[in-house]
Amino acid sequence: MNLLFIKLSRKIFTAGSVFLLIIIFLSGCKKEAVQTLPERNWQLTWSDEFDGAAGTSPDAANWAFDIGTGQGGWGNQELEYYTNRSQNVSLDGNGNLLITARSEPYAGSSFTSGRIKTQGLFSQAYGRFEARIKTPYGPGIWPAFWMLGSNIETTPWPQCGEIDIMELRGQEPNIINGTIHGPGYSGGSSITKRYGFTDKRFDQDYHIFAVEWTSDKIDFFVDDYLYQRLTASDVPGQWVYDHPFHIILNVAVGGNYLGFPTSQTPFPQSMSIDYVRVYKAAN
Amino acid sequence: MKKYIFNNSIIKSFLALSVFFLLNGCKREISGLSPVTYSTNPDVFIDGFSAGLNYGAYGGSVPSAFHVDSSITYNGSATSMRFEVPDQNDPKGAYAGGAYFTSVGRDLSGYDALTFWAKASQPATLGVVGFGNDFGASKYQVALNNLAVNFNWKKIIIPIPDPSKLNGERGMFYYSAGPENGKGYTFWIDEVKFEKLGTISNATAAILNGVDKVQSSFIGINTTIDGITTSFNLPAGVDESLSISPYYFNFTSSNPAAATVNETGIVSIVGTGSSKITAKLGNTDAKGSLTINSSGSFTAAPTPTKDAANVISLFSDAYSNAPVDYYNGYWAPYQTTLSADFEVNGDHVLNYTNFNFVGIQVSSPTIDASSMSNLHLDIYLPAALNTGATFKVQIVDFGANGAPGGSDDVSGDITFAAPVLVANNWARLDIPFSSLPTLLTRRHLGQIILVGTNISGFYADNIYFWKNPTIPETPVSAAPAPTIAAANVLSIFSDAYTNVPGTDFSPYWGQGTVSSQVPVAGNNTLKYEGLDFQGTQLASNQNVSAYGFLHVDYYTANSNSLNVFLISPGPVQTSYTLSVPTSGASSSGWSSVDIPLSAFAPVDLTNLNQMMFTGNGNIFLDNIYFHK
Repeated sequence: MNLLFIKLSRKIFTAGSVFLLIIIFLSGCKKEAVQTLPERNWQLTWSDEFDGAAGTSPDAANWAFDIGTGQGGWGNQELEYYTNRSQNVSLDGNGNLLITARSEPYAGSSFTSGRIKTQGLFSQAYGRFEARIKTPYGPGIWPAFWMLGSNIETTPWPQCGEIDIMELRGQEPNIINGTIHGPGYSGGSSITKRYGFTDKRFDQDYHIFAVEWTSDKIDFFVDDYLYQRLTASDVPGQWVYDHPFHIILNVAVGGNYLGFPTSQTPFPQSMSIDYVRVYKAAN
Repeated sequence: MKKYIFNNSIIKSFLALSVFFLLNGCKREISGLSPVTYSTNPDVFIDGFSAGLNYGAYGGSVPSAFHVDSSITYNGSATSMRFEVPDQNDPKGAYAGGAYFTSVGRDLSGYDALTFWAKASQPATLGVVGFGNDFGASKYQVALNNLAVNFNWKKIIIPIPDPSKLNGERGMFYYSAGPENGKGYTFWIDEVKFEKLGTISNATAAILNGVDKVQSSFIGINTTIDGITTSFNLPAGVDESLSISPYYFNFTSSNPAAATVNETGIVSIVGTGSSKITAKLGNTDAKGSLTINSSGSFTAAPTPTKDAANVISLFSDAYSNAPVDYYNGYWAPYQTTLSADFEVNGDHVLNYTNFNFVGIQVSSPTIDASSMSNLHLDIYLPAALNTGATFKVQIVDFGANGAPGGSDDVSGDITFAAPVLVANNWARLDIPFSSLPTLLTRRHLGQIILVGTNISGFYADNIYFWKNPTIPETPVSAAPAPTIAAANVLSIFSDAYTNVPGTDFSPYWGQGTVSSQVPVAGNNTLKYEGLDFQGTQLASNQNVSAYGFLHVDYYTANSNSLNVFLISPGPVQTSYTLSVPTSGASSSGWSSVDIPLSAFAPVDLTNLNQMMFTGNGNIFLDNIYFHK
């Protein structure tokens, strides 16, 4: 695979690996760039492996549902109606959670889908937040694995902060974005970076999307490849990532971020999540 | 709490992995150990013809539609391909179309799509573009139909359904485009090449339009798997449907002893039993399947014996059939009946499934059956007969306007039930028009409508109108010569045997019949003219209980009622009805019958003293004898 965008604050190659990379390049095979990062020990603090019977809802001790169309299509002119029905959110019986967007009239909307969150059930400041996901695809399909500051009830967005670990525009199923939104840099002026493949797609296999968040920086990973590091000096406004955030998983249909589904968009479309795991730095 | 230790460094294994790559992943390219049979050149037309590429225009197209253009090209490259679609009625040709092919195949198995850029002088729809057309077998043809183009350059991607099949492909690119609203236009194509994109995903495939079909069948039947559809999700996340050759699919039979399937999807039933035919496109399981339930050898419908001169056939392999609009009109919205017609060893059979009703139409032209006397059809119910099963045959005359509707349509119908309807066997339905009084005319017959109750499906064959041949009132040839040995015969009236003596063939019982004996081709024959009834008085009472049958040869051109009686003292008499007239029975017009004597119970077979015929018309009789 090739990387579309490589921006690393720290790239360390061993001499041996450089030599081998050249050989491989000349011989026509392609191997992704390799980075060496300091080893860090993480200790698991929270996880959901989505083990359970097919058709059942995810563990209510971990996840709450957002229902309906929110305010103005969840602030983005999204088209879907979120439900807690098993057609939209359920375990597949093989250890995965499926969030499925469907094209069906429902409560005045033309599409249904699902959005679940750990708000009020789990939140954490700092650590590693990761999920193993196979994305849906198609124009107007917008899957996301993201976080909001849990003080959102008292400190409205964007002051509460938002960390988007993975967002994908279904018309570009080979590219994801990692993004943060905060005061003075939200919505269209958020701080974001694309990461993608030229020769494969995120809907073909599972990939691990993660952030590693410390008090002074947020590192964004795909399959343990660091593609973006953000620090206070990278944002034009206040660095608000100093309090607990909660996790959200959803598949939106349409909206300002990516445009609307077309007649060629295949439905239904499922995001399949193998697990969500949260760690803290071990002492 | 269980501790997960996470380590985000992946460098440790890299060295080993890289060496592995070097020795294995790149083996082929570095060492060249794999012999290269065919070129893997991906280029078709970049800035001119790639090596070995030829062009041929399709028949009926404008031969000069294709040009190499150096003024309008994609991305300012040297040249592009320009296609000039003709106006309607252009004397040079009706459309632009042709194929680019190589004489030596190329190995395209390392690519996953044909891509090119296209633009046009106006918004237009190209009828078809694709690859795999080599002006030969075109085994691996792929078609992208109805491609919309406009004035902007647009990248087109046509996925290769299963690259592993294209080891020696010669068909690089083809196209066909006709006028838009009668007007010609120009389009350009550039940078035509095969690519390995990797971003084509989520292939879908279906056979039989994705339906799981179940079909009863027989040895000797071939069925073609059709309804092949495929789609591929393009890098932009949208699905693209392609029409592809069945050769891309790998078909499998679950039970080759019952049914086999070849690489084009033709299923051959070879034995008894059940077999499920499925298909895969690459690693994708095709939706849909065909389950064959073969009950073994097929029992063909009895071959019709009527002379073709006296038949108007709609469906039979024994005759030339009249032009039929359709054997299944799929009349919306209420008809459920589907067709799965088949052929067994050259015998074509109509097969109606999911039956409620179905119409067969003959309107161009309608059929004048005014000289015909009957409609015949053979039907076979391949399942147990349900309670209350009925089968209605309705015949519709379109009237003078020759079309359905108007006020001139007339029809008649007749309904059959058990025991005429039988399970797992042919029922021969013969419908005299005289039994359809509401069918006031049959000069413009347009439809036969078959309606079922509690019948899920049936086969049909030998659907024809017929009449008896015209025969002379007096036979020209003698009755068939008997073949039974005299030792097994007790003869009443025959030149072939010694008859019981003294029989009176014209006793006067008050009848109007004129009885006489006349020579027919030198053979003495009994003639009853103007029959009402006519007795026969035996000289002595006969014991025929040792015999099994009464044989009678009879001939009549004009009778429509004829019965024969045996009589014992009492009198005790029982009749047996003979089929008349005999015009259709044989080429000579003579009809022969062997009546089991049990049919005459309770007549005392040990003590016969009389016989009698009743009915109408002029009757000729010969070879009246009892035999074992």
